[in-house]
This record gives sequence, C-alpha cells and structure tokens, in this order.
Amino acid sequence: MELAKGGTPAGLIATTTFEPLAAAELRARGIGGLPLLVIDHPLGGEKPDGVLRRAQQAVRELVALIGVKP
Amino acid sequence: MTLLSEILELPDSPEAVFSAFCEREWCDGLPIIPPTLERVESMLGAVAGDPQESLGALPPLWREATLEKLAVNAVMAGCLPAHFPVVLTAVEAMLDPAFNLYGVQATTHPVAPLLILSGPYARAIGMHGGSGCFGPGFRANATIGRAIRLILMNVGGGWPGRHDMATQGSPAKFAYAIAENEAACPWAPLHVELGYAPDQSVVTVFGGEAPHNVNDHVSTGAAGILHTVSDTAATLGSNVKWYLSQSQLLLVLGPEHAATIAGDGLSKGEVKRFVFEHARLPLGTLKLGGMWGIQDWPEWMRAVTDDRTLLPIVASPEEIFVIVAGGAGKHSAVVPNSTFSRAVHRPLTRLLNGGHRE
Repeated sequence: MELAKGGTPAGLIATTTFEPLAAAELRARGIGGLPLLVIDHPLGGEKPDGVLRRAQQAVRELVALIGVKP
Repeated sequence: MTLLSEILELPDSPEAVFSAFCEREWCDGLPIIPPTLERVESMLGAVAGDPQESLGALPPLWREATLEKLAVNAVMAGCLPAHFPVVLTAVEAMLDPAFNLYGVQATTHPVAPLLILSGPYARAIGMHGGSGCFGPGFRANATIGRAIRLILMNVGGGWPGRHDMATQGSPAKFAYAIAENEAACPWAPLHVELGYAPDQSVVTVFGGEAPHNVNDHVSTGAAGILHTVSDTAATLGSNVKWYLSQSQLLLVLGPEHAATIAGDGLSKGEVKRFVFEHARLPLGTLKLGGMWGIQDWPEWMRAVTDDRTLLPIVASPEEIFVIVAGGAGKHSAVVPNSTFSRAVHRPLTRLLNGGHRE
C-alpha cells in the first residue's frame, strides 16, 4: 500500500475468504482502486496439485489485471 | 462538552435498545447499557482530554479512536467512570506498533488482548486478581475487558467472519482482563520488574490465547511445578515457537504454586530461565505438523538435523513474563502469544481525581 501511494505499480493478493477484508482495507486506506488479485481459499494445507491450480489461477488473474501476457 | 455521535431515538425499554444495537451490529450479543448523552459525558469526565482527541486509527477499518467513541463503548460495556482510564490506557498500548493490532484483529488465530492491571489502581477499582480471576463475577474485570472488545468491534471494525477472521474465536474475546494478585506474589509485581515505581499503576496488553491450564497437585518443589508448566507450554499446536523472534509466553502462577517455587529459593529470573530451558520440543515432533516448513527460525535452529534435538519455543528467558494471579488451589496457567504481537506496557496517565471529575 505504501508503494502504491508512492506511485510504484502494486496490488494486493487475497484468497476468496479474505476478499471482503482486503477490499475493506483498501477502501479504508483510501486506495480502493488498487488491483486486487483473488485466488481460491485456502492456501495452507494444500497438496501440490492444489498449489499448482492456485498458481495458474493467479497468473490468469494477473494477466487480466495488467492486460499483458507474461 | 460537545459530542458528535448520532443520537438515536428508541423506545424506552431494555429489550428495544438491545434489539436496535444487535440489528446494527453494535454489540457482542449481550445486553448493553444504553450510551445516553449523560452517561457518556460522565464517562468522559473521568479522564483528561478533549472528547474529539483521537488516540489513533484502529484497524482493520482504521477509524479514529476518539475519546468520545471509546466512552460510548465503555458505557455500553457497563464500565464505571473510574474504569475508563484503564480502557484508554489499554487502547493506547494496543496502538503501539509493537502490538500489531491489525494482525491481532484480522488473523485466523484465536488471539485476544489480555489486559493486566498492576499497581494500586487495580485495588482502587476492584480489579480482581484472586480466585477465579479469568472468569465471571467481577465488574471491573468483566466490563473493562468487554469495553476493549466492543471498541475493537465497533471502532476498529473487527466483526467476526468479516474483518475479524478468527477461525473459531475464543471465549477470551468477550472479556479478558485481570489484576495481578500482588498480595500473594513472592516476587516484585510485573510493573516494578519493568522499572515502574510500586505506587504507579501500569496496564499491560498481551496478545494471547485463552489460558492453558497447568494442574500440578503433587509437586512439593519448584522443579516439579516448573516441569509441568514447561510441558504445558510446549505443544505442537501453539503458534509459539514457529515465528521465534515474536514468540512470547505469559506464566500466570497460582499463589500456591508461586509460594512453593519461591520457597525453594527461585527468583522470577530463575523461573524464566528454567522454563526457557525445559519448554522445548524435539525437532522430530516439530516435523509432524503445526507450521513445519513455513516457520521463521534463526540460522542455528535451521541448521539442526538431529530429530532428537530439543528446540526452544521462545528466543530467550526475557520473552517469558511471570505474574501471580488466582486463589487457593494447585493450578496455574500458561498464555502463549499469537507470535505476531508483542506485549506492551503503559502507565496510567489520564486520571482525574482518582477517575472521577468533580
């Protein structure tokens, strides 16, 4: 958030369960327009295939947010 | 005195007021004292400061903790005006960056700020540190603890499942406030140990789990009791030890246990040293679950490969606090912290005429 306020491109990553908290935090901090990348909950206790799915989901979300392919 | 809070017109019945506050998600599920203008002004009269003075922005919604808003919640909780300086001091302490209130408010861990009041003001307002001190029955403990929770919910915005993300929460989140039992303490009380004068009163906030019971009915010496304390403290499921640099333990010794330990000649420092050296888990046990693989350990611990090696759960004896509280019986308690919040201490400074404005 401090980076974004200083003009550095930045965003926030949250899982689905924490999306409302992350969105509220951005609004409360006055940076509601900051990109919010949301991936499936949970992160902890996941087997490797679950981690891979989230990584792929995160890349798709990131591409959608920044509009370019890696 | 100019107050800015919205005035609600409600039917003059306890049930109607309770329902209205529940509907607006302004309470903890228990009946409240209606925060009328007169009551809020009376609460504010106990402390120095302008009602619109803010102690800071409370996370996770970063709303200003003005004295007025804090007083409204203290009234709702059932506090007496004489309790309000303690509430204010606790909020000041929780806003210290070392306490990391955002983490405490928003985590999935069942952490609650434990408020410990040391010094003469605890006795003056009836803050209880004797039998059953963590439980019901004592207005100062119950209402000061409840006021802290209402403030965290109503001003901070920590509503369960929305911005307070605790998986299960904790009974300690309703009210978690005690005094030390200084009369039964064989050592210096916490505030004197920290360098404050005996006649000062000091609030400590400790972001802890609910108390873990330590039952030792048979030990006749310090070593037996402290082995039982250490074993209770070292558990795989506790946060303490995984983020070692932030891990802290609070030992709340019952008076009988404390007397036995002191009777063997141990100082507070030696109690801390004993627990530091014995509250340990073998590497092989730590590998079974908990937060194994995502821990934050110093290099020397990361280098250990022998599964039989016993590893500490706090970084040094100084990360262990010892107080005496409770009444008769062979029980003590261990309160592990959440490991992303460090204990903060603040002296009471805003008292007006002993907590009452004339």
